[in-house]
Amino acid sequence: MEKSRSELGQIIIGVARDPLGLMGLIIVGIIVFCAIFAAWIVPYDPIAMDIKSRMQGPSAAHLLGTDQLGRDTFSRVIAGGQVALKVALPAVFGAMAIGLTLGMIAGYGPKWLDNLLMLFFDTIRSFPTVMFALAVVALVGPSLQTVVFVVMATSIPTYGRVARTQTLTLRNSEFILAERSMGASMSRILGVHMLPNIIGVLAVLAAMDIPTVIALEAGLSFLGLGVKPPTPSWGALLKDGYSLIRQTPWLVVGGGLPIILATLGFTFLGESLRDVVDPKLRKQR
Amino acid sequence: MTETLLEIDHLSVDYETGRGDLNALRDITFNINKGEIVGIVGESGCGKSTLISSILRLTAPNTRFREGEIRFKGQDLLQAPERHMRDLRGADISIVFQDPMQTHNPVLTIGQQMLDIQHRSKQSKADKLAHAAKMLGAVGIPDPEARLKQYPHEFSGGMRQRIAIAMALMSEPDLLIADEPTTALDATLEVQIIERLQELQREFHCAILFISHHLGVIAELCDRVVVMYAGAVVESGDVREIFHNPKHPYTRRLIECDPGHIKERARVLPTIPGEVPDLANLPGGCIFRDRCDQAMAQCASDVPPLDQLKEGHHAACWLNHEEATT
Amino acid sequence: MSLLNVVDLHTSYGPVNVLAGVSFTVQPGETYALVGESGSGKTTVIRAIAGLAPAQDGSVTFEGQEIRGAPEKVMRPLRKDMAMMFQDPVGSLSPRLTIRSLITEPYRIQGMKDKDLDAEAKRLLEMVNLPTHFADRYPYQLSGGQARRVGVARALALEPKLILADEPTAGLDVSVQGELLNLLNDLRERLGLAMVIITHNLSVVRHVADRMGIMYLGRLVEEGTTETIFNNPRHPYTRCLLSANPEPDPDARLERIALKGEPPSLLKRPSGCEFRERCPFAKDICTQTPEWEVDGGHGLRCLAPLPQ
Repeated sequence: MEKSRSELGQIIIGVARDPLGLMGLIIVGIIVFCAIFAAWIVPYDPIAMDIKSRMQGPSAAHLLGTDQLGRDTFSRVIAGGQVALKVALPAVFGAMAIGLTLGMIAGYGPKWLDNLLMLFFDTIRSFPTVMFALAVVALVGPSLQTVVFVVMATSIPTYGRVARTQTLTLRNSEFILAERSMGASMSRILGVHMLPNIIGVLAVLAAMDIPTVIALEAGLSFLGLGVKPPTPSWGALLKDGYSLIRQTPWLVVGGGLPIILATLGFTFLGESLRDVVDPKLRKQR
Repeated sequence: MTETLLEIDHLSVDYETGRGDLNALRDITFNINKGEIVGIVGESGCGKSTLISSILRLTAPNTRFREGEIRFKGQDLLQAPERHMRDLRGADISIVFQDPMQTHNPVLTIGQQMLDIQHRSKQSKADKLAHAAKMLGAVGIPDPEARLKQYPHEFSGGMRQRIAIAMALMSEPDLLIADEPTTALDATLEVQIIERLQELQREFHCAILFISHHLGVIAELCDRVVVMYAGAVVESGDVREIFHNPKHPYTRRLIECDPGHIKERARVLPTIPGEVPDLANLPGGCIFRDRCDQAMAQCASDVPPLDQLKEGHHAACWLNHEEATT
Repeated sequence: MSLLNVVDLHTSYGPVNVLAGVSFTVQPGETYALVGESGSGKTTVIRAIAGLAPAQDGSVTFEGQEIRGAPEKVMRPLRKDMAMMFQDPVGSLSPRLTIRSLITEPYRIQGMKDKDLDAEAKRLLEMVNLPTHFADRYPYQLSGGQARRVGVARALALEPKLILADEPTAGLDVSVQGELLNLLNDLRERLGLAMVIITHNLSVVRHVADRMGIMYLGRLVEEGTTETIFNNPRHPYTRCLLSANPEPDPDARLERIALKGEPPSLLKRPSGCEFRERCPFAKDICTQTPEWEVDGGHGLRCLAPLPQ
């Protein structure tokens, strides 16, 4: 444990030294902080209606104005961030864990298992995400869990394929042969010797994937297939904002700005992380 | 008669790193005459690669030339404009690398690659191909015309290295730098390459800077030898002087360590205990002192100068300082 | 009883038969060297012995037990007595593990949980003359020679009876190479272990091996004690290999027997003696296929051997 903590510390220091990485770290930090402490930060209940003060512009009382039902937009943005992370984090990490396991088994196991898993990955990948989401929503109805499930299922193959390729390259390296010559079991080779060498690449992939998932959640909610109203979501904010853009443009700003910021933040973080984790790329700088 | 081709004059090169400056080369001085084969001997971390990339000026971005000059035919390469360097590389100075498996572009035929490196020539394509075939023949590739149409993977390691030599010699360079060209090869192929290099050198009259850690190869091929240790020249001289009358303890111990030199089965082989010093944090005095069995008090305080002991034989060791002529 | 007995071992990858019948034995405490050019099948032999490469035919017995193609369940307990060393000193160490974890890995794999692993790590590091604080380092922080010592420590952790070493001096500087060979010689005497060592560096063989076998295209062409082979090689190929060893002496212009060309492709094995086309001493009789003949412990596959 001691060891992995110091290694993590080194990675964070490495990211913070890179200006873009630092920016990403700060943005992501703010988003995560706001999501965790949303209940204390929001000035109003994000779903409480106040018809008297509907569609107001920004003011001291309402930082980003209010929507057509008089709900405070700033509070809804903060609470929407919480929803975005509630979807993005489990979906991405779930997909990563499953993809990693299956990918390593495909790369290290017997040929027939590899073929079977690759067929499975290719099958999933051949579904267009939005069409797949439409089908699932039609079956079970829109909800946060549905979004998480759809996103997770469709991104497993990406992680699986990367994990498989990495495993295949490592498989014939001398240190794996050395482990085999000592009689190490398959689970030991995969868990102790392969995993630490693969996880970095996948973590980078995951960091870069989070903004995609946030945008996807927003997109599905925009289409009315995501999170059910009145739960606040950046996508839902945008959706309301577009229909009311002539009356109050602030809703679009409130819904759009956090998506842009989150995308930039996670992408910067991911790119910087990639440079730190992969020493080969670092040297070329 | 002996005309100097390349002069390395008090060259010092640093790498800027997170831990401070790494003094990769310190006060390197030696020269290569026209048509001469000079060997550089040294173990890992002695600065061979930095030296080669400095001569070609293909150094990493964190490199700093602190001092000194590299003069090729009298011109200082460190001050030359980049365009001039580009004209020089591959034309007047060419290089053969260690790994014959990675030198060639895998998706082009050997013939295409040999055409490409003649881009400066105004000859017709047919003439260029004929020249390429002639060069392949010269390095001992049978049936060269047909082999020009093949891809690198269709050749064995030894053949690829010979092709690399053919390509390096196509422009009839004045200086061929061979960076451990036989290390990745079997002993039998190693011998073939050395003999081929000797023949070609006689035919093309180019100077060769041959870098190797294999003393046997150096002894067989070279006219003069430069021994490097931890970024500095510790001894240089005629090949016979170096092997029969080494004046630096490192050279002497290195020759003793080579098992090719010990004919009887030995229970205990000679070694040089210890490690190469940290180049980012150099100790004062002689760099070899910690591993030297003849170290004296003076070795800890003062860096020994590269004394001339005889015409053309230099060594940097306090043991010889008295007999030095300069 | 011999410790390791390899009989007529065959390995093919598709149409390429890398090993075309290799036989040799290793006695307890003996060092046997396999020598030959790259592509002669040396590495495949020891990997096949350890069950890391396939072997379609033949037999490998270790302490009398047949292990060719044995499942891991059978192999695992035997691996206590049979350790391997790989070519790349740093690359054969799992990069994300500390040296402590690396050298105590054999105990964990064999399920010896009652051992004090810290104490064992210390003992092993001392055995190979590395400072004990190296236990906390990672492979990339070591030099080639240090990493090689870690490899030796790991191979010796369980006090095996046999070590299979693939080019143990590859990538080492000359000044360090001797240290490693001395260490191996010393440990071998103290622990009485046997070794199969693969190398193309003949100067190394002379100082460590008791007996040696010379491989060409996946077969042994000559075998004998190191002394007799060095003093009186009978097979022209052996003679060529020995003469292709440049000496660190500019005046030693030894009579070199030039080996013509390069090894033929395994897909197009020559008829008759397979070395015939490259052999400087080939005679008419060499179009016939030579058999393996043993005379007083000296094996030879040649119809026109060099005089004794």
